[in-house]
Amino acid sequence: MTDCGEDHCVTCSDEAVAMRVTEVRPDGIAVCGDAEVLTALVGDVAPGDELLVHAGAAIARAP
Amino acid sequence: MKFVDEFRDAELGRVLANEILATVEPGRHYKVMEVCGGHTHTIYKYGVDDLLPANVELVHGPGCPVCVIPMGRVDDGIAVAHRAGVIFTCFGDMMRVPGGAGTLLDAKAEGADVRMVYSPLDALRIARENPEREVIFFAVGFETTAPSTALTLMRAKAERVPNFFVFCNHVTIVPPLRALLESPDLRLDGFIGPGHVSTVVGARPFEFIPADYGKPVVISGFEPLDLLQSVHMVLRQLADGRCEVENQYKRVVPYDGNPQALRVLAEVFELRPHFEWRGLGFISHSGLKLSAAYADFDAELRYEVPGVRVADPKACQCGEVLKGVIKPWECKVFGTACTPERPIGTCMVSSEGACAAYYNYGRFARERVVV
Repeated sequence: MTDCGEDHCVTCSDEAVAMRVTEVRPDGIAVCGDAEVLTALVGDVAPGDELLVHAGAAIARAP
Repeated sequence: MKFVDEFRDAELGRVLANEILATVEPGRHYKVMEVCGGHTHTIYKYGVDDLLPANVELVHGPGCPVCVIPMGRVDDGIAVAHRAGVIFTCFGDMMRVPGGAGTLLDAKAEGADVRMVYSPLDALRIARENPEREVIFFAVGFETTAPSTALTLMRAKAERVPNFFVFCNHVTIVPPLRALLESPDLRLDGFIGPGHVSTVVGARPFEFIPADYGKPVVISGFEPLDLLQSVHMVLRQLADGRCEVENQYKRVVPYDGNPQALRVLAEVFELRPHFEWRGLGFISHSGLKLSAAYADFDAELRYEVPGVRVADPKACQCGEVLKGVIKPWECKVFGTACTPERPIGTCMVSSEGACAAYYNYGRFARERVVV
């Protein structure tokens, strides 16, 4: 999901990608698949929540 | 997938295309600028412009953060990357952006420890894993990306990570738009506003465009139907004689943005007096640097940065492309000396760059196939 593949590099563009939280670690970082995501901008999250993630930070909850 | 499949529905696309056709005034030429590289990418990936009438022209603005980094900043980064003991981290596209003295990828080939990361948090992890080394993150991006850098810095400060530094090149979207609107060689009828920048800053910062310049703005999502609907909303405003900021991407963008993200940005960053943009020159209050509270993490204070200015290659017309004055294929080196494999200009480096989007989706000629 976060690969810089043939399509485009999600970390470099303005675009955020929808990701589902699979685990919330004790250090407050959410794990979404194989990505670590900072969630301070979207409040408390729980496994199953869908987030719009850009460059390792959730900037909104997915609609 | 929810909110994806229905926004790629071909039949709905044709309905919107017919509505657009019914909205435009025959004989009038419309120029609508999308300022976000993600929008440019969608337009060419899905052929959105082929569904538009011939007199509706999409112009591609300076919304790719990689594309607007001036060559001198790349050279500054390379100089720091070559320092002994340094691990230099950056996003993937940034590694291929040419400076005056090669790319960060060239620096890596010459022995510098340059590593690609997917997020600033990855760079902080590398710093924790390598306490004997100094780890620098080369930060680029608009207000969408800056919160991630800010949150990572707050974490580094709280955890007292002493070997993590940020080389800050974050920029803000409003000042270059104002500069473009002041440009005498550019005539635009309206704007497609950036979707995820607006998730952070909201729609309100774009109100100056209708208020001061009399142009409509529609904040847009990233799926092909989002863009078609946004073009229709801009044209509808023009047809009705209205001029305002509308939000097509309401499913994600609150009008006032994300207040927590804005607080975080205000704590960690402050505006530079001016910052150089590739092709646009110096623009006042358009770049961010670390605030005094985070000075200990500022790579530009930690290291001697050459700070040289490098003129763009003469053959490259990225500046004109970024201002929407010419189309990528009108550049003399497009697709010949300048290709995604061997880019001369930054617009050909990132897939969000207008030149790379045209090249990758086969737009070599001036003729458009209008359906």
